[in-house]
Amino acid sequence: MIQISKSKVEAVLQGFIGSDAYIHSEATAFVFVRNFKVHVTQSFIAGEGPFRVALRFDGHGWLRMEALTHYEADENKLLLAGYDDRGRLNVALHLGKEPFPE
Amino acid sequence: MTIPDQNTRKILAVFAHPDDESFICGGTLAKYASQGVEITLVSATRGEMGRRMGNPPYLNRESLPAARELELRQACTCLGIEQLHFFDIRDKMVEFADEESLIARVSALIRDIDPDVVLTFHERLGGHPDHCAIGKATTAAHKRTGHRSHLYFITFGDMMNHPERFGYTRKDVIRIDVHAFLEAKLAAFRAHRCQTEIDEWVWLPDQEALKRFGNYEYFLKGNTGTPNRDLQDLF
Repeated sequence: MIQISKSKVEAVLQGFIGSDAYIHSEATAFVFVRNFKVHVTQSFIAGEGPFRVALRFDGHGWLRMEALTHYEADENKLLLAGYDDRGRLNVALHLGKEPFPE
Repeated sequence: MTIPDQNTRKILAVFAHPDDESFICGGTLAKYASQGVEITLVSATRGEMGRRMGNPPYLNRESLPAARELELRQACTCLGIEQLHFFDIRDKMVEFADEESLIARVSALIRDIDPDVVLTFHERLGGHPDHCAIGKATTAAHKRTGHRSHLYFITFGDMMNHPERFGYTRKDVIRIDVHAFLEAKLAAFRAHRCQTEIDEWVWLPDQEALKRFGNYEYFLKGNTGTPNRDLQDLF
């Protein structure tokens, strides 16, 4: 995982627009949702770090997460995470073209 | 071909997460392993929903399970645990896994291994929903199989120095002297690197770090009907 580059993450997010994505979303220790499938219609990244990311999906829904600090991406997935200053995960938002391991 | 020694003593430990074996009862496992006891460890999950990702972080939610499996294998080497099984349940989801199939899996292990001692979590005092759930299933499996083994619940720190606070008496508590096995316990703590990097004391010079460990680990009797010869030995 490397520190978020806003322009690079923005470009990867845009690659999901118009396609189905499997989402892992969590606010660690309180909630996680794994592999819910949405059709992404819009994507946003905001802030100067930590960053906010939002997805509009299926013509009727939103997902928004904040406190994101790091990312990792390949052709099939984008992993976004927010760590605290001692390496603990606060939040995670993963988008995949394939389901993540259950 | 090696023929199993009929006299080899065996422990089956059924826990929830990588690191339970080291952080809670690593000294005891190292002690019995050093005496030639065969130890089989079950970790119901790979701890893949843990919050600690190394410090500074080098893991993420998707890379954590493989990293923690590797760390657990290294910790098993440190402690002398020979056999390791995963139940492949997602971390935090043990209480939602099908209980009957969980009981069946633990029962099968009890029958196959024929252990002298079974260790697991107390179903109410386990401290985490996954701990309580695997403890409940293992307790049910032990009862259902009617197996001869001693069942014990692992406990945290020295909470069982005062068993009456939890509705138990001193006769229900086994106290294992682990002072000679704290180096192995420390090595196992360090093997669980992504989980312990945040704890600075673990990485102090050995003699400093070892001072943080108690000399005893405590176990609560699960089948109080069978008296132990003494309260300092699980067998």
